[in-house]
Amino acid sequence: MSQAIAAFKQSQALSLGVELELQLLSVRDFDLTRGATDLLGSMDYDGCFGEIKLEITESMIEVSTLPRTFVDGIAGDLVGLRQTLVRQCARNHIAVCGGGTHPFHRWSERRICPGDRFAEIYQRYGYLAKQFTVFGQHIHVGCASGDDAIWLTQALAPYLPLFIALSASSPFVDGEDTLFQSARLNAVSAFPLSGQCPALRDWSEFLEHFSLLQSCGIARSIKDLYWDVRPKPEFGTVEIRVCDTPLTVERAAALAALAQSLVRHLLRTRPPLDTQRHLHVARYNKFQACRYGLDALVSDPVGRRQLPLRQIGRQLLAVLAEDAGELGCSAWLELLDASLSVEVSDANWLRRRQACHGNLNEVVREAAMRFGRPEHTPCAEGSR
Amino acid sequence: MLDDVLSPARSAWEDLQERLHFLPPFPDELDSLALFSMLLIVGLLIGEWLRARLGWPKVVGYVLAGTLFGPSVLGWIRIEALAQARPIADAALGLLMLEIGRRLDLRWLAQHRELLRAALAEISLSFAAVFLFAWGVVGLIPAWAAAAAAVTMAAAPAVVLLIVEESGAQGQVTERMIMHTALSAAASFVVFAVVVGVVHAEYSDDWLSCVVHPLWVVAGALIVAWPMVLLSLLAASRLPKRSLAQIFVLVATALLAVGTARTLAVPVFLTLFLMGAILSFSDRERTLSYTELPEGHWLLAIILFVVVGASLPWQDFTWLIGLQALGLLLVRAAAKVAALVWSGGGLSIERRVLVGIGIQPLSATAVFMAYEIAGLYPEIGRSSLSLPLFAAAIMELGGPALCRFALVRAGETAATAGSERGVA
Repeated sequence: MSQAIAAFKQSQALSLGVELELQLLSVRDFDLTRGATDLLGSMDYDGCFGEIKLEITESMIEVSTLPRTFVDGIAGDLVGLRQTLVRQCARNHIAVCGGGTHPFHRWSERRICPGDRFAEIYQRYGYLAKQFTVFGQHIHVGCASGDDAIWLTQALAPYLPLFIALSASSPFVDGEDTLFQSARLNAVSAFPLSGQCPALRDWSEFLEHFSLLQSCGIARSIKDLYWDVRPKPEFGTVEIRVCDTPLTVERAAALAALAQSLVRHLLRTRPPLDTQRHLHVARYNKFQACRYGLDALVSDPVGRRQLPLRQIGRQLLAVLAEDAGELGCSAWLELLDASLSVEVSDANWLRRRQACHGNLNEVVREAAMRFGRPEHTPCAEGSR
Repeated sequence: MLDDVLSPARSAWEDLQERLHFLPPFPDELDSLALFSMLLIVGLLIGEWLRARLGWPKVVGYVLAGTLFGPSVLGWIRIEALAQARPIADAALGLLMLEIGRRLDLRWLAQHRELLRAALAEISLSFAAVFLFAWGVVGLIPAWAAAAAAVTMAAAPAVVLLIVEESGAQGQVTERMIMHTALSAAASFVVFAVVVGVVHAEYSDDWLSCVVHPLWVVAGALIVAWPMVLLSLLAASRLPKRSLAQIFVLVATALLAVGTARTLAVPVFLTLFLMGAILSFSDRERTLSYTELPEGHWLLAIILFVVVGASLPWQDFTWLIGLQALGLLLVRAAAKVAALVWSGGGLSIERRVLVGIGIQPLSATAVFMAYEIAGLYPEIGRSSLSLPLFAAAIMELGGPALCRFALVRAGETAATAGSERGVA
């Protein structure tokens, strides 16, 4: 049954929320295991850091932070959620870890979670639903209005390759090195409503577009839109959906800092958009970022040239310094700046561990250990 | 019966032999390899037929094949043939015990006190319930009542592992079933060793046997298991993790342990269980942690269950002993379920009951353990242990079905038809 789109809930502009999809692993061989429903059922958790909920298959669990004004708040929630999950998983004899794909699981062994929506997705998409056992980070940034949200879906689009490259943590699929830095998005792109949001100018045009999709039987609710960036009227946010779940919650917080600073910068400067022209290169640029990560060459349709993504990243971080300072998240951006300078991406880390062990079980075990232990975090500027 | 069928063939063969001197004597016994293949084919066919037509676990078919063709019913598998197939059955049981030993993860118990409490309750209640029933209701003397309890207190690791593998089960009910099975097997082996001494004390004045035999059972198993672990880790550390060569190393050292245990008259099931458990604790570099048994262990398992089915003494069956065995199974089931209802942190009562149902199987380990104890004083032991043997015989058929029922009901099997939790 089709659902009408909720009115755009006004939220505090630039507030943040983060969702992470995480892997549930057998501690015996570190393959994915079915355990999400039992994990949730056995959990004694009061929701003080946000929500923990089911995702499409029993081998996934999703955590979402509370809406926060500062990145430090997001980081605090993520650390709390991580501790809660790691503790509860140990009691259930399973492990939890980040990463965009599980390096060697067999999708046919996955089981769809109980629930009408999950059953409906399985009925509609068949095996794609099980292959959708991939793990992403979604970043919500609060918008003052639906018009702002739609404008941001367009304005953020050229920067998506950078989000993909900075979060890339899915080089292995089916036990093979894909040569991609982020192979996760290939699973997402099989869905009919994935990809770029069409060129829309404001909220009313979005409603019109969605009404067309509904009347043509293409989409029933806004959840059917697997766009790379989409408005989320129930939360009053714009949602960036291209990131792999990083191997650590600290990196997830750093990516949220980038999103918040970038949105502030865009809303403050309101640069002119050339959406139609960007749509011509969007798929290519996304592919480049997935395939090569920060070493990608992306197309600039306005300047009619190719640019190294790493260079774009450095320039952007320099431009965002003022906004990051105002938002109290400069230190988080420095984490990302470091990975632009040296080859320390999550995808490269996974490859290095595989080169060391020659065994993906061992790589996943180390990834789970890395996820479970605290990493160095920037000082809490935002809490002042 | 088999002789009646074969006698015309034997006469014809002997007539031919008078003219064709190169012919060997009429083969009274099948060659070991031929017997092995026959058991495999018959067990496989019946197992697959039951699975396809009635949805029963294959293990039931293997046991039925053994029972049907064994000495108790048709007599096509003779007692001598059973002795011939015993090394293969030992190898199969050994590999499965190695696997359950490897699954014993005490770190989980350390992190989960309620689970530890449930495990201890399950072990002690099962022992106490069976002992009291065998002693108080059936009227066995305490030594044999303790032996009956040692034999039947634990779930059958071989059956639980095979049903979990056959149904592709994953989840909390599965995890806990495996944990309870491994722990109760470990406890039953300790009790078994003590009972060996108690039985000696009951029937012999030789105090040396009372003390040294139990020690030999445990120390002998350790003496065999420990070097095999070191050998397997040493050889495997030079090979790529999870490689085929590592699988060969694991299987070869396990079979070496089986052979050595047989030579030293140390129980194979205990030796291989210890080998698995020691491997699990001492493999700090995780050299063999990810190396799984080859698919071929299924073939050996078929032989194991056919042999177990053929070893069941159905010819001694009486309604009284049948009812007593049924009574033993009922108190045992009540003890296991009650322990899990009382404690089992983090799981709903319904799912704890399913764990209790899933650990009901009683099979090869119990049968072999009973024969080990009965073999100490055969003239008395065989009749005194018919109670646990018939309990095992009944559970050979009912246990796998109960185990599978628990996993399906918990929604943890790979196949989903009729599953209540989740889809696909």
